[in-house]
Amino acid sequence: MVSLGIGVKKEKKRRFRVSISEILIFLLPLIFFTVILYLMVGWTFYISFSNWEGVSPKYEFAGLKWYKLMFNLSRFHIDVRNNLTWLLLGVFPTLLIAIFLAYFLEIGGFKKGESLIRTLILYPASMSFIVTGTIWSWMYQPDKGVINTLLRLLHLDFLQSKFVTDQATANYWLILIFIWQYLGFAVIILQASMRTTELQEMVEAAIIDGASKLDILFRIILPNIRGGILILLSLLLISALKVFDIVYIVTFGGPGYSTDVLAFFMYIATFQQHLVALGAGLAVIIFLIAFIIIIPYTIYAMKRWFA
Amino acid sequence: MTEDILRRKVSRRRALSTAGKVAIGAIVAGVVAGIGGYYSGLSAAPGKKVTEKVTVTETTTVTKTVSPTIVTRTTSPTEERKLEIFHWWTAGGEREAADAMFRVFKKHYPDVTIVENPVAGGGGVSHRVVLQARLSAGLPPDTWQTLGGAELKAYVDGGYLVPIDDLWEELKYADVIPKPLADMVTIEGHRWTVPLNIHIQNILYYDKKLFSELNLSPPTNYDELMKTVKAIKEAKPKKAPLGLGTKEKWEAAFVFDALFLEVAGPENYVKFYKGLSDPKTDPAFRKALERLKELQPYIYPYHAGLTWDESCGLVVSGDAAMVTMGTWAIGYFISRGWTPGKEFGAVNFPQKPARILLGHTDSYGLAKGAPHPNTCRDWLRTVASPDFQIAVDVTQGGMFARLDIDPKEFPDPIRQEMQIYLRNNPDKLILDQHGSIAPFSFTQAYWDVMAAFITTPDIDKTISDVATLMETYKVKEEAAWYHWGSV
Repeated sequence: MVSLGIGVKKEKKRRFRVSISEILIFLLPLIFFTVILYLMVGWTFYISFSNWEGVSPKYEFAGLKWYKLMFNLSRFHIDVRNNLTWLLLGVFPTLLIAIFLAYFLEIGGFKKGESLIRTLILYPASMSFIVTGTIWSWMYQPDKGVINTLLRLLHLDFLQSKFVTDQATANYWLILIFIWQYLGFAVIILQASMRTTELQEMVEAAIIDGASKLDILFRIILPNIRGGILILLSLLLISALKVFDIVYIVTFGGPGYSTDVLAFFMYIATFQQHLVALGAGLAVIIFLIAFIIIIPYTIYAMKRWFA
Repeated sequence: MTEDILRRKVSRRRALSTAGKVAIGAIVAGVVAGIGGYYSGLSAAPGKKVTEKVTVTETTTVTKTVSPTIVTRTTSPTEERKLEIFHWWTAGGEREAADAMFRVFKKHYPDVTIVENPVAGGGGVSHRVVLQARLSAGLPPDTWQTLGGAELKAYVDGGYLVPIDDLWEELKYADVIPKPLADMVTIEGHRWTVPLNIHIQNILYYDKKLFSELNLSPPTNYDELMKTVKAIKEAKPKKAPLGLGTKEKWEAAFVFDALFLEVAGPENYVKFYKGLSDPKTDPAFRKALERLKELQPYIYPYHAGLTWDESCGLVVSGDAAMVTMGTWAIGYFISRGWTPGKEFGAVNFPQKPARILLGHTDSYGLAKGAPHPNTCRDWLRTVASPDFQIAVDVTQGGMFARLDIDPKEFPDPIRQEMQIYLRNNPDKLILDQHGSIAPFSFTQAYWDVMAAFITTPDIDKTISDVATLMETYKVKEEAAWYHWGSV
């Protein structure tokens, strides 16, 4: 083996300047990632155009058959609407509250309490949706749940709600769980992006110049943490888009289809209805929406790297 | 000297990069071989026996034998005495039933090693996910649990099972079980599985203490039911006369079926789920929905958040007086410390115009390409035996598939009474929601519609929704396999 290298020309030497550890570190995960993820995505894409119905695979091409069926199902339209509601009401309030909370923690002046508060609000994010979903569904229980029981004790009966068993509002109560769970995570990301040295210096300078606290937030901090906000926004949007577990645990898509979402329908279609091609089609729709969501972040990242 | 060092460095680098290339090559080869093996396994799955061993390590070995014969019975005397089995009885109560199953099997055939693949998850949903992967990869276990009806039909259509008519003939099994039960596992004239129990769906459980306090007798038809719920509402305004949980959706269809069966009668009931009557013009369907709408105000209002066991819990906690649930609720009530016939009673509903039992069955079949077909046949012989069914069904909560077992084997009066009724009227059994006459694609969506109806009773919308679903999921074609009476 050693003698192999002796006669090698100079150009070739440069081309193969990668060590085995570099290969292992960079290439292996890349292959792993590419194969596992993109092959599966491609496979799902293909299945959605096949005629796979029932437990055994059928690979013959069926064209847009299942997409046509999907667009004719009222359930699909309800799901898309519910998913959009999740994206709007799940993400933007979280972001807004998180910005104020992160700013408040940074400039609030309680250096000692800050880390404690940060830990406390991060706590929900460390629990799985299965756990928080179960806890919230107990709290939401209309006749025995803690929220309505407390309201009755305080003689605030008019504030009582049927929560997730009310067809008209169930979806909003689910979104509230999401906001509660992701708030801490959002605050941490924003705080991290506020802690660059340049930004700290700018804030200090602004304070000396006598800028108000809101001015500092809107004119100095926000324009300078756009990157952090965009990353957070993308992450939140994707988390809200792929929501499945909260729905599965708390309502199972009910009452009616009022809390049904695309990911949940995908699961039901594939494994309960045995309409694998339809399930794959729904996965493709989710993928496409995620793709659109991620575009602004990609543009931003490209600009930064290539500018 | 320096040149020498340089050279050595270069050669080392070269050697490393060669090693790197080899490593990458091995990985890529492994991946490609793995995928290739997987795909050929997939395409070979139906109708072919596939024995496949794929090992992807640094050195890749792919051993594959594909023989295009349709496997029926391997007469090789060297077959390993081993049974690979998939089932979903893993929850409390059911795990004990699974243990009882294997205990009896071991007693009959002590030389067999059992390889269990239990998959946790209620109702067998996760079980189906794992099993489906194994089947489509062409690596079936010897046998797996399946419900007679639409689920079984999916496996038969997929070509994953071998007909076992000869085994039925050998055991004379058709003579000892109700004909409608045999029909639940008979598709295109062949017997596909051995049923081991019967679960009944249309049972109304009631709080006995409350009923005697209010001097009520359990209702057996719609008019009596309405009188009962009104009397309960009047005496106990805080109590829901009828408990319900529709989180899993099928519970809603149970309540509807109970009303629909009375209005339509058994023949039209079967015709409806076979897609032979148009929901838009079927007067029975509309009338049953109207009745459900009348009943709706007496149903526990927050049903959307509860699962089936939680809905039975409403009766135990005193929040509801009655609940419609299957035979499996008996075990739940007992686990809450209630004694059948003492704290709670149960009646089939409706009993007029005819007392029909809506039910489904757990069963086991023989896989096409089963690794141990002879041992599997021994397993199926055991499943059909009385001592197996006594040990398993009493524990698990269903009724006996065999009519020649003494109903007194049941510890509770509820199942004793229903088993005696079934023995005397074996033709009164019809496939229920879980067994499903219609394909699952329809049934699943139909449950959703029914659950939505109980939340917001919109008759016209529900009728048009169900009609659309019947057309979308081709119920008429897909349910044509099922026969009951003259239908």
